[in-house]
Amino acid sequence: MRFTFPLMATGLEVAMIVLFATFVQYETDQNLSQKPNSTSVDLDTSGDLYLFFRDVHIMVFAGFGFLMTFLRKYGFSSVGINFLIAALGLQWGTIVQGILHMHGKKFHIGIKNMINADFSTTTVLISFGAVLGKTSPSQMLIMTILEIAAFAGNEYLVGKIFLASDIGASMTIHAFGAYFGLAVAGVLYRSGLRRRHPKEESVYHSDLFAMIGTLFLWIFWPSFNSAIATPGDTQSRAIVNTYFSLAACVVTAYACSSLLEQNGKLNIVHIQNATLAGGVAMGTCADMKIPPYFSLILGSIAGIISVLGFKFLTPFFTTKLRIHDTCGVHNLHGLPGVIGGLASIVAIAMEIPTMSTAMQAAALGSSIGIAIVGGLITGLILKIPIWGQPSDENCYEDSVYWEVPKRIEHDSLFPEHRSHNQLEPEA
Amino acid sequence: MGSKYQRSVRGCLPPWILTLEVILFLVFFFFTSYDTSSKAQKEFLGTYQGFQDVVIIAALGLGFLNTSLRRHCWSSVAFNLFLLALGVQLTLLLDGFLSPTFSRKMSINLTSIQRATVSATSVLISAGAILGKVNLVQLVFMTVIEVTAFSTTRMVAKRFLNVDNHVNMMYIHVFAAYFGLTVSCCLPRPLPTRGKEKDQTATSPSLFAMLGTLFLWMFWPSFNSALLDIPDERKKAIFNTYYALAVSAVTAISMSALIHPKGKINMTHIHNAVLAGGVAMGIPCYLIHSPWLAMVLGFIAGLISIGGAKILLMCLQHKPDVFGICNIYDTYGVHYTFGLPGLLGGITDIVLKALQVKWTEVSMIGYQILTDLGVLSFVIVMGVAFGLLTGFLLNLNWWKPPSVTNYFNDQTFWKFPHLAAGY
Repeated sequence: MRFTFPLMATGLEVAMIVLFATFVQYETDQNLSQKPNSTSVDLDTSGDLYLFFRDVHIMVFAGFGFLMTFLRKYGFSSVGINFLIAALGLQWGTIVQGILHMHGKKFHIGIKNMINADFSTTTVLISFGAVLGKTSPSQMLIMTILEIAAFAGNEYLVGKIFLASDIGASMTIHAFGAYFGLAVAGVLYRSGLRRRHPKEESVYHSDLFAMIGTLFLWIFWPSFNSAIATPGDTQSRAIVNTYFSLAACVVTAYACSSLLEQNGKLNIVHIQNATLAGGVAMGTCADMKIPPYFSLILGSIAGIISVLGFKFLTPFFTTKLRIHDTCGVHNLHGLPGVIGGLASIVAIAMEIPTMSTAMQAAALGSSIGIAIVGGLITGLILKIPIWGQPSDENCYEDSVYWEVPKRIEHDSLFPEHRSHNQLEPEA
Repeated sequence: MGSKYQRSVRGCLPPWILTLEVILFLVFFFFTSYDTSSKAQKEFLGTYQGFQDVVIIAALGLGFLNTSLRRHCWSSVAFNLFLLALGVQLTLLLDGFLSPTFSRKMSINLTSIQRATVSATSVLISAGAILGKVNLVQLVFMTVIEVTAFSTTRMVAKRFLNVDNHVNMMYIHVFAAYFGLTVSCCLPRPLPTRGKEKDQTATSPSLFAMLGTLFLWMFWPSFNSALLDIPDERKKAIFNTYYALAVSAVTAISMSALIHPKGKINMTHIHNAVLAGGVAMGIPCYLIHSPWLAMVLGFIAGLISIGGAKILLMCLQHKPDVFGICNIYDTYGVHYTFGLPGLLGGITDIVLKALQVKWTEVSMIGYQILTDLGVLSFVIVMGVAFGLLTGFLLNLNWWKPPSVTNYFNDQTFWKFPHLAAGY
C-alpha cells in the first residue's frame, strides 16, 4: 500500500496532465464560431448551465459519498475514496469523451463538458457501491480508468449510432454502472465471506449519515435528469417529470417497506435507497411529452420494484449467484434503470411516432451487454494479487487504509458508555 | 410487559398509503396537464433556483432540524421526507381545484409546484410538535387534513379578505405552529420519567440538528422571497431576511449564555432561536425599507424565542397544571421557533401597513388595522380549530398509536438490523 498506491495515483495524474496538454483547449468566442455545428452551446447560456453543473457536482461528491457511509467502520473510505474516484474520473472522463467527439487535432471544453465528465464519474461511483468494502484504493483507480473508457464507448454508440434518447441516462449511466459493478463483484466474490461478515453492518448514526446522502440526491435529482436537455420547454418538462416521479416513489417505497417487514415496521435501508429509484427510472423519458400521471405511475413502480429487490433479490444474488452487492446498487440503479429504458420504449410507442423503439431497445441491450463484458474483464484484472487487496477479515474496515482515531473504536463498541460519560459533567 | 410490544401497523399503513397514491394517480389522470406555454429561459432558471432552495429547506433543513433527540433521529428525517412527498402532491391538486380559474384541467408548471412545496412545509412544521408520539398512519391522516385546511385558509384569505399570495402563504408559520400545538395538546402526554430519559439530547444528534439549522439559515432568504414577483420587493425581502437572520443568530447565542447560571450556551436554543429572525421576517420582509428595522426585528425575534423557550420550560417543570396550556408537550419547540416569531412578524406587518396609510385618510387606518387583525386571528382560529379536530380524531384507538412507554423511540417504527443495545 505504501508504494503501490502513491506511485499509481501520481503516475495517473501525470498522465492526465500530459493528455490535457496535448488535447484540451478552453472554449472561447472565437473557436466557437469556427466550430462546424455549434448549435448546442452558446457562451451566453454557459452561466445558466453552471447552475446545473453545480447541482450535479453536489450529487456526485456529497450525495453519492454520504449515501455509502452506512457501514459501521467504513465511513472514511466511503466518503474519501468516493472523493478520489470522482476527482480522477472527471479528468479522465473529459479526455475520453472529448477524444471520441473530436473533430480536429484538439477539442474545446466548456461547462457542458464538465457536466458530462461528472456524469461519467457517476457510473464508477455506482459500481463502487457494489464492491464497497472489498477493494483497495489502488483497485478503484484501475476500475475508474477502465470503466470510464467503456462507458464513453457505450455512450457514443447509444447517442451517435443508435440515435437513441437517454437524457437523464437511466440506461447509459445507471443500468450500465450497476451491471458493471455487479460483474466486477461477481468475479471478485470471496467465498470466505459467504456468511455475513461481522463488520458488514450499520449502527444508528452511520445510517443517519447515509440519510444525508439520500436527501442531497433526492433534492438535486431533477437537475441531474435535465442538465443536458435543450433549454426551454424540454428542460422544464424534464424537471417537473422527475420531481413527480420522485415524490410518488417516496410514498410507495414507504408503503412497500412497511408491508414487507415484520410488524409493519420500516427498514432504513429501503428508505435510503428506494426513495431515489423514481429519479433513476425517470431518466430516459424525462424530456418526452408524457402526461403528469405517467411520471407518477413510473415513480411508484420503481419504488415498489426497488424495495422488492432489496427484500428478495439481493439475498438471492448473494447466496445463489455468488454476487455480493454491498450497497444494493442493483436495486437502486440496475432495476430502475432497466425500467426507465422499458418505459421509454412504451412512451415512444404510445406518444412519439418519430422515434424508433427498436433503437431504444438496442441502446438498452448494448448498455447492459457492454457493462457485463467490461465488468468481467475489469474484474479479472482486479483479481491479480498485486493491488494490495484487503484480506477477508480486513474487509469493511477503515483502519487498513486510514489513520483512525482510537476513540472511535471504543465508541462504537460501547456507545452507551460514551453518552453517559459525556453527559455526566454537567450535573 | 404487554405494552412493551408494539402493535403492528402492517395491516393499516400500506393499504392506506397505496390507496391514497392510486387516488392521486386517478385525479392526476383526469385533471392535470403540463403547462406548455414557453417562458423566457432566464426567468425559468430563476424560478428553478428558487424552487430548489425551497426543496432544500423542506427536505434537508427541516428534516435534520428535528434530529436532536437521542433515539428519534431516523423517524424525524425519514418521516419528514415522506410527508413532504405526499403533501406536495395533495397541495398541488387542492390549489388547482380551489383556484378561481379552474375549469376541467389544471396546468402544472414550476411556479405552482414551488408554491405547493412551500405550502406543504406547514405539515413539516406541525409535525415538529408531535413527532415521537404518533405513528406514520396518524401523520398521513394529519397531512391530509392540514393540507386541506391550509389551502382553504389561503383561498378564503385571498378571495374574501384580499390578502396577496405572499402574505397569505407566510402566515404558514403561525398556522402550522398553532395547529401542531393544538394536536399535541390533544394527544396523551409522555410519562415524565421515561420521557425524560429518551428525550434527553446527546452530542452527536445535536450536531446532526445543527446540520439542519445551518441549511435552513443559509437558504431562508430564498424561502421568504420565493413568492414575490416584483423584483424590487424580492430584493428587499432577501436583504431584510439576511440581516434579520444574522442579528437573531448573534442574539440567540448571547441570550442563551445570559440565561444559563454559569453562562453556558445551550445547543437546543441555538438550533431554534437562530432561525427566529427569518421566521419573523416572513410576512413584513417586502415592506421594510432600511436594514436597521430588519435588524431590530431580528433582535426582538431572538429575544422572544429564547425567552419563550426558557419560560415554557419553567412552566413545564414547576407548575405543571396551573393553566391548561401547560399540558402541551412540544417535542421540538415549534412554539418558540415558529409560533412566537411568526406572531411577531404578523403584528409588525399590521403596524407597518398602518404607518404606510396616508395621514390624511385617518379613517382608513382603523379599517386597515381591523382587516389585518382579522386575517391574523382568522388564521390562528383556523389552525386551532382544525388542530382540535385532528387531535380529537388522532386519539382514536383505531390508528394503533404507539403506547406511551414507547414514545420517542425509533425501535417502535423501524426494523433494526441487530439488537442495538446502545444506540
